[in-house]
Amino acid sequence: MTSTGTPQLAGPTSDDERVRQQRRVGFSQRLGRWDVKVSPYLYISPFFILFIVVGLFPLLYTGYVSFHKWDLLAGKGDSVGFENFDWVLHSDMFWKSVRNTFSIFLLSSVPQVIIALVLAAILDANLRAKTFWRMGVLVPYVVAPVAVSLIFGQLFADQSGTINAILAKVGMDPILWHSHVLPSHIAIATMVNFRWTGYNTLIFLAAMQAIPRDLYEAALIDGAKRVRQFFSITIPMLRPTMIFIIVTSTIGGLQIFDEPRMFDQNGRGGADQQYLTVTNLIYQLGWTNRNFGRASAVAWILFLMILVISLVNYLLSRRISSDEAAGAKKRKKVRA
Amino acid sequence: MRKTTRKFLAVTASVASIALLATACSSDDGDNDAKPSGGTSESASANTEPVTLKVATFNEFGFADLYKEYMQLHPNVTIVDDKADTSDNARAAVTNSIASNTVVDDIVAADGDWMPELLASDAFFADLGSDSVKDRWPEWKTKMATTADGKLIGYGTDSGPEAICYRKDLFEKAGLPTDRDEVAKAIGDSWDSYFDLGKKFMDAKTGAAWFDSIGALSQGMVNQQEAPFEDPSTDEITATGDNSVVKPIYDQLTSDEVLAQSAHLGQWSPDWSAAFKKDAFATMLCPPWMTQIISGNAPDQKNWDIAPVMPGGASNWGGSYLLVPSGGKNVDAAKALADWLTDPAQAAKIFVKYGNFPSQTAATTDAQVTGKTDAYFGGAPSGKIFSERFANVSKQPYRGSHYFSINAALGDAYTRVDVNKTDDSASSWKKFVKAVDDLG
Repeated sequence: MTSTGTPQLAGPTSDDERVRQQRRVGFSQRLGRWDVKVSPYLYISPFFILFIVVGLFPLLYTGYVSFHKWDLLAGKGDSVGFENFDWVLHSDMFWKSVRNTFSIFLLSSVPQVIIALVLAAILDANLRAKTFWRMGVLVPYVVAPVAVSLIFGQLFADQSGTINAILAKVGMDPILWHSHVLPSHIAIATMVNFRWTGYNTLIFLAAMQAIPRDLYEAALIDGAKRVRQFFSITIPMLRPTMIFIIVTSTIGGLQIFDEPRMFDQNGRGGADQQYLTVTNLIYQLGWTNRNFGRASAVAWILFLMILVISLVNYLLSRRISSDEAAGAKKRKKVRA
Repeated sequence: MRKTTRKFLAVTASVASIALLATACSSDDGDNDAKPSGGTSESASANTEPVTLKVATFNEFGFADLYKEYMQLHPNVTIVDDKADTSDNARAAVTNSIASNTVVDDIVAADGDWMPELLASDAFFADLGSDSVKDRWPEWKTKMATTADGKLIGYGTDSGPEAICYRKDLFEKAGLPTDRDEVAKAIGDSWDSYFDLGKKFMDAKTGAAWFDSIGALSQGMVNQQEAPFEDPSTDEITATGDNSVVKPIYDQLTSDEVLAQSAHLGQWSPDWSAAFKKDAFATMLCPPWMTQIISGNAPDQKNWDIAPVMPGGASNWGGSYLLVPSGGKNVDAAKALADWLTDPAQAAKIFVKYGNFPSQTAATTDAQVTGKTDAYFGGAPSGKIFSERFANVSKQPYRGSHYFSINAALGDAYTRVDVNKTDDSASSWKKFVKAVDDLG
């Protein structure tokens, strides 16, 4: 017969199909589609909302404050453009604090990572009472920084300190921990290392335990001793963890505040700014001298410094970090 | 069956731990409100509704027993102690509450050194002037808590009229007199006579120094000036200019003759605290509250004594105030409590028990106060000695808006020369000038 009967012969759809299509575009279906597309963003939004409120907004507002004359109690003054930054960059105190910060950072982070690695390797071995040793290594982290400062203050006192007493017994000259620059940095770095080495050790230990044991067995069969295994297996396999530790140590090390502040009774970083760090300078400018404009300028400069150094870390990590990057290069070479 | 039991246990455990955390983290205010409230009160205040007053203090104001007494006299009032761990943290708390315009405590204790910046924010504090406190304190004490318009924002608590504490045994070793009044005569009225006696002491070579540090002496000398750092009429900084009042003092203290008599111990450092047990120095500037520090640092040392003298004229070091933020919920009740706490009768009780010397004129002549002797200092009549020193105090240095920071910078200047020995007199002064100019 001809096609005058059913006009819908072109498509296989009939009334049933049309009804089915209508049901397919129902509201609950639309909601379901939204659910799939939108809910991941909703799940991560609490963090970002919180970050915007307590992280991003204060960051931008501090930048706003740094362009004004701003007294802590009197409030907002005139807009002065880059004057605060100009003052900061020409201030001896600022550059001394940068020198101190970098010096303390290097003196604390480098030994920390090395000692943490070695300790983790020791703890990874088959010791008796493993858990006790592993928990014990974290105890310094739990002690309050003020308590640590009190105890180390007694150790490092210039005239009545324990270390100088020992040096005197041995016949050496006392080291003036609070008067000279480098000794004060070493003393403060010691306190920082005391606190953070255990924490880093446990992170390394966790990473070490993820290294497959077959590698060690194979190396043992090949005749490698413990030390050789450590350098040839453990450390290369720990590269990603090491990047993480280095980045977090950098960010934390450039912001050290407690230990230098508690190092003497005044908390101003020494009479000659021997151990004044940048965060301490921000506190002094903002709260003691009540000059919020300058404190904000220093805060933003510190932020940019940390950003630059973290970027350097990231670029370095792209070159030396995990096997994926190296593998990709190899693959490309084969194809070419 | 097993699965449900495990799940049930897990759920119960988590609920229990959350409940524990919630109770642990909740504040203590709940407990304090459950005190006898309402009822008839014999207090003069018309308001007998239950009131909770928070008092922020630091160090030791000696209020613990007084709180109990006040709460017995006024059953509707509950007093909560909010003590900061250091005076610096207390200062930070006050400035933070002003900056954020929030009231945390009904009464705030403030050291005299902070008063300039608190006076600059006097709108935050209530006017405490009233007939009951008229003439309670000498003028120099109330001046520091009164705005230019005459608004009184703080009630004085204690004061620190200085005398000289000395070591009897070291004086004897050096052939100097050891009796209190004779020592006072030997030390004399001026700093020159003090340093002359110091020279005699050092020549005897007892192995001890004459005083602890020049920074400590500077504190006494600065407190004897009318306007050490700033011009009272313009609030401009004069400390670094040609007419600087502190430069001659600085030159004298950093001269070789005076430095030779110093024990090079920065005040409040661990070295300084440890030195009290040894024979490190023979004299030091001694306000009343320093006597407790000495006895605390060297409880077994029996040879400290107090000489009734202060070279260079009467000097007051320290002293605090009680302020009432005007935005608090119980301003009138707080004002009444502050008034009572700083009443001469209460101040005398504090001195007898804690050694904080009163600043109220009537209290300093109170028999309880003048009759107090100190067993640690060989039975010295400390009450009488400090009372006499107090009576002679006539002024306090003008404290402008940068007083605190300039004083800190000056202290650093002395530390560089005396304790750290990183600079000589001239270069340290240059750094001081730069630090003061930076305050801008």
